[in-house]
Amino acid sequence: MNEAVRQFTDHELALARNGDARALTALVLAHQRSVYSLALRMLGTRDLAEDLAQDVFMQLNRNLKSIESRQHLAFWLRKVTSFRAIDQLRQRARLATTSFDEDLHLEGDTHAHLYSDAGASDPLLQRHLKLLLEELSPPARAVVLLRYQEDLDPLDIARTLEMPINTVKSHLKRSLEIMRQKTPGARLSRGEDQSI
Amino acid sequence: MSQDLESQLRAALRPIAPSASFEKKLIASVTNDPQHSQPKPDRRGGAGWHSRTRWLSVAAAACLLIGVGLQGRMQLRRERENGLEARRQVVEALRVTSQKLDLAYEIVKSQSSSFADDNPGA
Repeated sequence: MNEAVRQFTDHELALARNGDARALTALVLAHQRSVYSLALRMLGTRDLAEDLAQDVFMQLNRNLKSIESRQHLAFWLRKVTSFRAIDQLRQRARLATTSFDEDLHLEGDTHAHLYSDAGASDPLLQRHLKLLLEELSPPARAVVLLRYQEDLDPLDIARTLEMPINTVKSHLKRSLEIMRQKTPGARLSRGEDQSI
Repeated sequence: MSQDLESQLRAALRPIAPSASFEKKLIASVTNDPQHSQPKPDRRGGAGWHSRTRWLSVAAAACLLIGVGLQGRMQLRRERENGLEARRQVVEALRVTSQKLDLAYEIVKSQSSSFADDNPGA
């Protein structure tokens, strides 16, 4: 995400505010991965994620005048995507049972290249962790995604989700604890959660 | 598992690119969004729909204000005319009363003088 923010310039943001099609295209290209991934991992299915991502970008398009900088743009996108995904999950209880099969399917075919550079990391473990993510409550899931997908620190997560920082830290600790308990062979102990 | 959970999570949660077809659809919908093109100024120099509506609203409000002002002024004028008419009537009434009083005074005066003539010792 940070890389994408650097790629989209202030000049392009100014042009996008005035409806310049090229600048709007650059904006979408710079941020679509982050928004789509957040939506997909929150909602669990590609269709819902695409609908949400499209709605978020359309909403952004109508509110571009209020976006002050590239950082504000990234913050706005994460915030709106997270809140809308949490709302959807709360409204549609049936989605709680939706699995991440589609995500795994994607990973297994057309998007396999995205994971091929995992290096020494364990693909099976990563799948397992993604399935565990599904078991978290929507706010906890959003916190974990903002921390480990978007690489935000707890303070930024608190600002994005309008949560007290202690709540963010508590979500992170509890979520890691759940994952640790359900992951055989996980070595990370309580005292090793340095980044929280 | 030899690596810590957090680095495994980071690796598992790296952003995923959407499909190319969705990317095209998304770009098309954002760049062709009519909501975004509305605030653009009219190339012919005329006012857009929003500004026309705004001007119509302003004109309607101005007409309303002028109407209310005229109504108030007419009301004031009517009240002033009524006041003048009332004053004229009061003056006329005072004039008539004064005449009557003068007449009564003259009668009383003439009667008292004739009584003194008839009774010089009184």
